[in-house]
Amino acid sequence: MVRTVDSYRFLEGVTRRVMKHWASLGRPPDIPWAPLAKPVAQCAISLLSSAGLALKTDLPFDRDIERRDPWFSDPSYRVLPRTASTGEVHVCHLHINPAFAEQDLNCVMPIERLNDLEASGEVGRSALSHYSYMGYTVRPEALLQQSVPGIVHHLREEKVDAVVLVPV
Amino acid sequence: MMPELTASVGVPRIAAIEHPFGLTLGPPGDVARQLEVLRYTLRALEVISQAGDVVHLPFEWKSRDKLSMYPPEPPPIARYLRRHPWHIPKFLSRTPPQISE
Repeated sequence: MVRTVDSYRFLEGVTRRVMKHWASLGRPPDIPWAPLAKPVAQCAISLLSSAGLALKTDLPFDRDIERRDPWFSDPSYRVLPRTASTGEVHVCHLHINPAFAEQDLNCVMPIERLNDLEASGEVGRSALSHYSYMGYTVRPEALLQQSVPGIVHHLREEKVDAVVLVPV
Repeated sequence: MMPELTASVGVPRIAAIEHPFGLTLGPPGDVARQLEVLRYTLRALEVISQAGDVVHLPFEWKSRDKLSMYPPEPPPIARYLRRHPWHIPKFLSRTPPQISE
C-alpha cells in the first residue's frame, strides 16, 4: 500500500489552519509541462532552494525588507556554485530554524549529495550553479517578474535539463 | 513537505515527503537518508508523466522528539497579525492590504 504524506503533520494551531485554507483555494487551470527529454543519468540537474541561502562572500538576503513589510520579502536570488559547502552559506529565511542547514547544508540544499550522484553515474552532471530565494512572500510579483527570468537565463546558459526545487 | 499546498499553485511534478520544515532531505549528517531522498525525487522526475501528479516518497520520520523547527524569533507576519487581527482575512485570502490601510 502506498503511504500518503500528511502535509500538516508538523504544523499546529493557527499555522495549520492557514496552510489548509491556502491549499483549498484551488489550483491554476494550466500547469506548465515539459517532458523529460532523456534519462536522469544523462541529465544536468540544478537545485533551487527556498531557504534564502547566500554565500557568506555574497550579499545576504535583506531580512529588513520583511521586517518592514511582513507581506513581502527580499525578491532577489542568489547563486551557489556546485562547490559550496556547509559553513560557507548564510541561511536567511525567517520562518524556519536555520540551525539544521547551518550544521549541514544538504538538509535544504543537497549540493554535496547531488555531486555524489554525479560521481556514481546516477545523474549526468550536477550543474555548475544552484540557486536560492526567500520562500515566504504574499507579494510574489517582483520574484516572478525579475528573479525567475534571471534564474531561467542562467539555467539555459548552463544547459540544465531539470531543476529540483527544494522547499523548506 | 506540504504536497497539498504545493499542488494548489500548479507545480508540474511533486515528490512529497513527510519531513519537518528545515529538514527536507533529512537530518544533519545523515548522508544515507539524504542520498535516498534525492534518488527517489529524481526517480519521480522520470516516472511522473502528467502535469500536477504527485509521488509520495516512502520515508517515515520516526522521531517523536519535539524538534525545534521554529525560528529563533516569531516571523514578522505573526507579530503583525497579532497587532492587526482585522487583517487576518486578507492573509487567508492572500490579498495584502494597500500600504495606507
